[in-house]
Amino acid sequence: MKYGTTFSFCWSGGSKLLLYHYSHVEVKFIKCFFKMSSFSRSAQQWATFARSWFLIDARMQPPGKIASMCSVRLQGKHKPIYHPLSDIGDHVVVMNTRHIAFSGNKWEQKVYSSHTGYPGSFKQLTAAQMHKKDPTAIIKLAVYGMLPKNLTRRTMMQRLHLFPDDVLPEDILKNLTEELPQPREIPRKLSEYTQEERNAFPMLWTPA
Amino acid sequence: MTARGTPSRFLQSVLHNGVGRYVCQLKRISLIFSKKGQGSLGVRDFIEEGVVDFAKNNSGTVVYISPQSCRIPKIVAEYLNGNVKEETVTNKTSQEIAELITKLSNQSGLDIIRIRKPFHTDSPSIQGQWHPFTNRPLSIDPVGPQAK
Repeated sequence: MKYGTTFSFCWSGGSKLLLYHYSHVEVKFIKCFFKMSSFSRSAQQWATFARSWFLIDARMQPPGKIASMCSVRLQGKHKPIYHPLSDIGDHVVVMNTRHIAFSGNKWEQKVYSSHTGYPGSFKQLTAAQMHKKDPTAIIKLAVYGMLPKNLTRRTMMQRLHLFPDDVLPEDILKNLTEELPQPREIPRKLSEYTQEERNAFPMLWTPA
Repeated sequence: MTARGTPSRFLQSVLHNGVGRYVCQLKRISLIFSKKGQGSLGVRDFIEEGVVDFAKNNSGTVVYISPQSCRIPKIVAEYLNGNVKEETVTNKTSQEIAELITKLSNQSGLDIIRIRKPFHTDSPSIQGQWHPFTNRPLSIDPVGPQAK
């Protein structure tokens, strides 16, 4: 059993909600959703406040769109029971972050700046240099900037799991419940079209 | 004291009283007074005028009249859930005592402490409470890179 229970008291709209958090939803539990009316009060509470794990494949995707999908789910805004104080966000696993695709010339033009506070320590890195140094940094910074700027942001970032390739550790693989669809439709290369499709493509004129 | 330091309870009714028949929750009411003291004047007047009508109207409640040599007259109300409420009625008029007794008979025996919510329902959800898979199709196949 992979449950980790944490109890937290949160004030929501003047009334107390006792939240039971569980690290993932087991398949056995999923199967008994078909008989929801027979749940006891505590089991119903467990069901409503369960924390799910989502998977996103970032191959050939713009990192900003990936980051906005992540931030929505990390805050819990995809749930009708959302409240900013309720700590109701889910876990998000992003794989293939090494293969993200910026549009335009952002690889050379987008600059990530940092300053440690000491004189002479102002560093500016282009997106390409940053990505070479750390393939998960671009998406991490994008998500960090999209989350609400309060103390819950750090907890939400701890629930974001980034992997540069599609090799995921086993315990995370066991927790995943759903893979989200990719935001950008990947265009096909010419080599991926069949000869019939290439022939069927309309031609204005043939070079004689 | 603060709300956290004092006891509190949720709104409830005793066994859904009133949905079917209404059962008066006041089991026993005892009037303790003295025959000669001046603090019990109001109680004695009430016993002359109003107590018999009260007992007739509330047939489910037993009324005890106990004259004792006591300095302070009391009304002791006992309820069906076992709670006992004592009120001192020194130097009260007969009218005030009558109002007090009707108030006691209208109460259920539940504690008079802070009520956390002014509402309660046994059916909090009609269409079914939301859970993460309400509008989300389940996937029994494993999710992950090896699934591709």
